[in-house]
Amino acid sequence: MSDQLVKITINGVAHHVHGKSVLIKAAEDTGTYIPRFCWHPRMAPVGMCRMCLVEVEGPRGVMLVPSCTTPIHDEMVVHTETDTVKKAQEGVLEFLLANHPLDCPVCDRGGECPLQDQTMAYGPGESRFVEEKRHYEKPIPISDLVMLDRERCILCARCTRFSDEISGDPLIEFMDRGNSTQVNTFTEEPFASYFSGNTVQLCPVGALTASPYRFRARPWDLRVIGSTCTVCTAGDSISVHASQNEVLRYLGVDNDATNHGWLSDKCRFGFEYLNSDDRLTTPLVRGADGEFAEASWSEALSLVAEKLTAIVTDHGPQAVAGLGGSRGTNEDAYAFSKFMRTVVGSGHIDSQMDDGLNPQLLAALSGKGLIGDLEYARTILLWAADLKEEHPTLYLRVRRAAQELGAKLIIVHPRRTGLDDRATFKFGYKPGDGARVLSELMAGQGEYAAARAALSEGPVVAIVGRTGLTESPVLAESVAAFARDLPNASVLPIVRRSNTYGALDMGLAPNLLPGRAAIGSPGCANLEATWGGLPTKAGYDAAAIATGVDEGSIKGVILLGADPVADMPNGLDLSSPDFVVAIDLFLTESSSQADVVFPALGFAEKEGTVTNLEGRVQKVNRVVPGPGQAREDWSILDDLSARMGKPMGLASAEAIAKEIAHVAPAYESVTWDLITWDHPDGAVVPVVAERSPLEYVPIVSSASSTPTKSEFVLHSARTMYDDGVMCQQGPSIGRLAPGAAAYLNPDDAQRLGVTDGDLVRVASTKGQGDLPVVIDVSLTVGVVYVPFNQPGGPHFGSDLAVTLVKL
Amino acid sequence: MVYPLVVTKRMMEHPADSHTMKRYEATGGYVAARQSVGQTREELVELVKASGLLGRGGAAFSAGLKWSFLAPARPAYLVVNGDESEPGTFKDRQLMERDPHQIVEGMIIAAKANEVHDSFVYIRGEYPKPARRLQQAVADAYAKGYLGKGIFGTDYDLELTVHLGAGAYICGEETALLNSLEGRRGEPRIKPPYFPAAKGLYMKPTIVNNIETISNLPHIINQGSEWFAGLSDSADTGTFMMSISGHVNKPGNYELPHGLTWREVIYDVAGGIRNGNELKAWVPGGASAPWFVPELHLDRPVTKEACAADGSMLGSGAIIVMDHTTDMVGAAERLVAFFAEESCGQCTPCREGTTWLDMILQRVLNGAGRDADIDLLLDVADNISVGLGWPPKQTTICPLGPSAVSPVMSLVRHFRDEVEAHIASAPHSGGQGVAVSIRGIA
Amino acid sequence: MSWSAETIKRAHDIVARYPEPRSAVMPLLYLAMRQDGYLTADGMKQVADLVGITPAQVQSVATFYVMFKTEPKGKYLISMCTSISCYLMGADDVLHAIEEASGVPAGEADDEIGVEHAECIGACGGAPACLVNYELIEGLTVEKAKELVRWLRDGKPETINGDELQTLFGSVTSFDWAIKEDNAAIGPYPAFPVFGTAAQNTDALEPGRGA
Ligand SMILES: Cc1cc2nc3c(=O)[nH]c(=O)nc-3n(C[C@H](O)[C@H](O)[C@H](O)COP(=O)(O)O)c2cc1C
Ligand code: SF4
Ligand code: SF4
Ligand code: FES
Ligand code: FES
Repeated sequence: MSDQLVKITINGVAHHVHGKSVLIKAAEDTGTYIPRFCWHPRMAPVGMCRMCLVEVEGPRGVMLVPSCTTPIHDEMVVHTETDTVKKAQEGVLEFLLANHPLDCPVCDRGGECPLQDQTMAYGPGESRFVEEKRHYEKPIPISDLVMLDRERCILCARCTRFSDEISGDPLIEFMDRGNSTQVNTFTEEPFASYFSGNTVQLCPVGALTASPYRFRARPWDLRVIGSTCTVCTAGDSISVHASQNEVLRYLGVDNDATNHGWLSDKCRFGFEYLNSDDRLTTPLVRGADGEFAEASWSEALSLVAEKLTAIVTDHGPQAVAGLGGSRGTNEDAYAFSKFMRTVVGSGHIDSQMDDGLNPQLLAALSGKGLIGDLEYARTILLWAADLKEEHPTLYLRVRRAAQELGAKLIIVHPRRTGLDDRATFKFGYKPGDGARVLSELMAGQGEYAAARAALSEGPVVAIVGRTGLTESPVLAESVAAFARDLPNASVLPIVRRSNTYGALDMGLAPNLLPGRAAIGSPGCANLEATWGGLPTKAGYDAAAIATGVDEGSIKGVILLGADPVADMPNGLDLSSPDFVVAIDLFLTESSSQADVVFPALGFAEKEGTVTNLEGRVQKVNRVVPGPGQAREDWSILDDLSARMGKPMGLASAEAIAKEIAHVAPAYESVTWDLITWDHPDGAVVPVVAERSPLEYVPIVSSASSTPTKSEFVLHSARTMYDDGVMCQQGPSIGRLAPGAAAYLNPDDAQRLGVTDGDLVRVASTKGQGDLPVVIDVSLTVGVVYVPFNQPGGPHFGSDLAVTLVKL
Repeated sequence: MVYPLVVTKRMMEHPADSHTMKRYEATGGYVAARQSVGQTREELVELVKASGLLGRGGAAFSAGLKWSFLAPARPAYLVVNGDESEPGTFKDRQLMERDPHQIVEGMIIAAKANEVHDSFVYIRGEYPKPARRLQQAVADAYAKGYLGKGIFGTDYDLELTVHLGAGAYICGEETALLNSLEGRRGEPRIKPPYFPAAKGLYMKPTIVNNIETISNLPHIINQGSEWFAGLSDSADTGTFMMSISGHVNKPGNYELPHGLTWREVIYDVAGGIRNGNELKAWVPGGASAPWFVPELHLDRPVTKEACAADGSMLGSGAIIVMDHTTDMVGAAERLVAFFAEESCGQCTPCREGTTWLDMILQRVLNGAGRDADIDLLLDVADNISVGLGWPPKQTTICPLGPSAVSPVMSLVRHFRDEVEAHIASAPHSGGQGVAVSIRGIA
Repeated sequence: MSWSAETIKRAHDIVARYPEPRSAVMPLLYLAMRQDGYLTADGMKQVADLVGITPAQVQSVATFYVMFKTEPKGKYLISMCTSISCYLMGADDVLHAIEEASGVPAGEADDEIGVEHAECIGACGGAPACLVNYELIEGLTVEKAKELVRWLRDGKPETINGDELQTLFGSVTSFDWAIKEDNAAIGPYPAFPVFGTAAQNTDALEPGRGA
């Protein structure tokens, strides 16, 4: 029934359309635009604004119906432009304008306001409303990021529906009723949602505005270019808006495959770091006095070429290691991979910071699925990081699957997660104890019986990853191995850093080559020819590189947009190597210890492609020129290669993309043209079937269990806002980090004689800190949770065992 | 004149204790419920269909037919509408206060007929006394095993919960009521789903019936559908309760047969107009009904059909009578103000339009009317209820918005001269007018 | 003020009465009003906690209904009907008399008395009518209304009984009340056993399925 074609006649023209649609959508799809305020294709209709009234012929004559709530049916006859319809629309507009302040000249929406536009198109002339208008206190801040002007609000319920239905944090609601109805938050509770910015984008008028954007620009001054967000790994479609060479905002763009138009606030407001005064603008070289001095590009490049060549000559190429590459484009990553392998000649290269998963699992898991598989899932197994914190738009997709589409959701996590309220089954556990939980779940024992039964109902989508930094990566691999064999299963192994998948696909892992080839795999003839030979041995991963640094075997380190000192759970001692060069946007904890720092271009300042967690390759675009003399990563590396006597011959990002399409098996044919024209939503690699030399099949391993006798084990996980560079350099989101604290089960707290706010000393072999206690009933007894990388917070490394003392 | 009584019979004959279990059982109570628990859904639905009982909540839809539409999914729910808030209406209050067991018994019958095990009565918050009485009756019925697990010794379970509203007329609209009962704002739901019988409480099949409708059920079971249908010559069977208020000598509730004339109702039943005054107009069926005037309607029959033919309705059976001293602009304003204040606020035309209409009327009353105001009133009304026809064309989710148009239309149709007189006497007549702010919701 | 264990228990019983917890929001809001006299932010948070929704959602529901008061309304709330039938019978004058006698304009309250206009309270046959803590007086007059205010101010009754009110201040009724009741209201919220009345024995009226 639902997929049958039905005939509808709109304004005298017959159309055949799929039967499961509301009239407003069917009309739009067949070329008739019906004006609307409250209807939104991604949310349930509410029929509130009444702007979309049209006439439909029926058994009892012609009826005026709202097209956003009326389903189409066969032989439906619709009129959208009759006098009655026009009169009704004019009437609604007049009603909406009656109480509207008409302060368009000072409104951020002015120039892109549907109310303004529709008044021009359908509206009445002058106001007949001579009574006193409704008055409310002018814009009130309802969160750190969002301002609300209730006088402008037309009560379309887009913001309230979004927070309730889509993001699951109904903190903004209608208050009062009738003519006094207004949007507001609870008296004492701000609109503290990770997704609040979406309501600003959804608001059809200027009632909700974003404080980072208020009064910054008028729409007609903006340069707008489509791109792909690189904050998390979902590859969300966005448009970047800039004026006078400055990025001013991002808007979400509806992509059926990924974000459905939504963005997290970190993504939306995270652009501020690009405009920071702290951005590096010239190369810096550490002088004899130990201080950085500005240097010219050629000085700095020559120096680095000389130093790296000397290390290779004196200690062999394996004395140089490279870290990073997961924050840039595929083209940059490829350049780094080629540079390390063909110019330096070292295989010690890793784009993950010892906090991720087996690169082969991420890049080439057999049975890997798509985000879109969530739309059809009957059962979802989520055993990974708290998606709300680390994978915000994926969180929205899972929420939709569980809430709107009725999938059963099974969550396994040591602590409460943002999706618990939608979980059919939720299992907590003690980090280190995961293997036992998995084996019991697999066997369907005891409390796991019903969940195991649900997992026998396909299609199953399993999202697997590390729930925290202290958990063994082998556990996720075991979960993936189990999930792969479930009925009709799609497995999505997830890690956090945005272009990790692209970086791995470009070979930025000790055991991978570009195009999803394991070192030694066949089928890399083009790569071999282009590179003039292929490595035969895997190099060090990040942890081994750290050890190499400590032991003195690694003498030179190249950091490409990486901050291992802050970002690696166990840190990295950058004072030991003879020479450290960093390519970065800022002086970070790591780059500030380098000998030479090159200023790099950031997001929106360069062109290229990125690959999301599904393997979807999408375009990022250049919108602004970037600060000072900053350059693309690939071009810095290419310049270095020439100065080191082994020129890589990389001419432009697009040329690199062509080289990738030629040499990297899984990326065969993936040119920019392909993803611009044939696959505007991005192309999932490999686009040419059977062109992935590696197909990784994980196994369930008992090594995923690391039981400890310690009284307390540490659960350490990332939060959306932390002490990372985006937050440090973005004034709007920088303030939002929750801060370091020790979260404890009430029983543990009682045993220790502490309560909320009391200080405890938490210590591991890697570090210690005095932290305020937060009681958290979601934790298992014996688990202490400390959010990772908080401003001023301690680092405990990846140790499971910690000690806790009351202070 | 003595008319046959059905739902008010017991309370008339036993005023002191008609509300008690003892009296109720002594006068044949719970016999019908006991019997119907042994009957099938089909038997009960057919019986009620055959009785011709129409809903007494205002829409006058066949109760039996509604029951037969109940979707097969289970659980299903029964919700009885005791929100009675339409100005002029106070009949359900009397039924709840004076004969609460009649409602409990009616609910047992309706529940059994619809295979429902969970039922609710939603009583407006301003009715604590009726709620207390009904709650006592419910408690007594639980104690006797007429409610709860295995009622009347059968294996049929039935729970009944008395739920108190909190001051919102719109919760009388059945889908708003269901939202309210779900712990949400009492906002009417969009269509589809078209009927609660398909998707109602918690989106499960739900029967919503009015208190008076339910009160008739024990009598239909006991005395048969033919007897009930035979009480009336109209398509509307049985008796019906009228709440009469305003400028009459004997305001009150009256259980009446169908088909009297308005003259009989106003002058015989309600004792005529106070102080021997002249009848000016009356509202025939609750605040949303277009007004009747003596010149046109006094000798017309009081039936659903005749009212519809005359461009109005019997609605909830509330007649509000106005004598010649009444300022009709004031009366219209008061009716419009009610809808403005009770609008849930979802639909633009209702939320903005009803308030605007009220502001204009208040301005006219306050001596700041303008010549353009009559046309403006009509045009704003037209934007709420396109074409200003009867029954109204709806631009809104529920009929409340268009309801506010009725008093304005009636005012302009029958008493345009009074509006003009107000405007003419205004100091600013013909000018720009002075804005007044609307009475706030206190 | 946090709720007593007994009140929390009652709240849980109410939640258990409904197929879905959210349905208990309205009764629990009444319970919250009984705790603090009106709906405080803490009260709404408590309700949110009990049914598992956000305080914003609770406030959204609460502010939809006029009987949930988010500000103090005194000990006695007089709700004067000004809808059509009462208007026709002189309600506006009665309301003015109440405002004047109490010194409290409609919509406001002092520590003792709150005054408001109300839409039709279902007593149109006994118009004009008002509610005192939701107990009804039918057939009110300007004089009787003034007496009512004085009686409240001077007598400061602990509880408000409808029959007593009607006897003292009322006249014509919508129908024969017939049956006297000793139950009474104990605050500016409806006297219903589930949330509390002045009656001694309300055990029979406890919520709880199949009790
Ligand atoms: C604005 C509005 C208010 C209503 N108020 C009431 C009411 O107070 N009591 C009632 O029983 N029905 C009321 N109704 C009708 C109900 O929606 C519903 O039709 C009725 O309760 C069904 O019961 P019945 O079929 O037994 O009449 C109202 C309808 C509307 C549109
Ligand atoms: S604030 Fe904006 S989005 Fe929210 S209801 Fe008002 S107009 Fe709609
Ligand atoms: S017509 Fe009025 S009361 Fe009815 S749903 Fe719309 S706004 Fe609410
Ligand atoms: S778009 Fe249909 S009612 Fe708003
Ligand atoms: S109009 Fe006042 S009680 Fe109905």
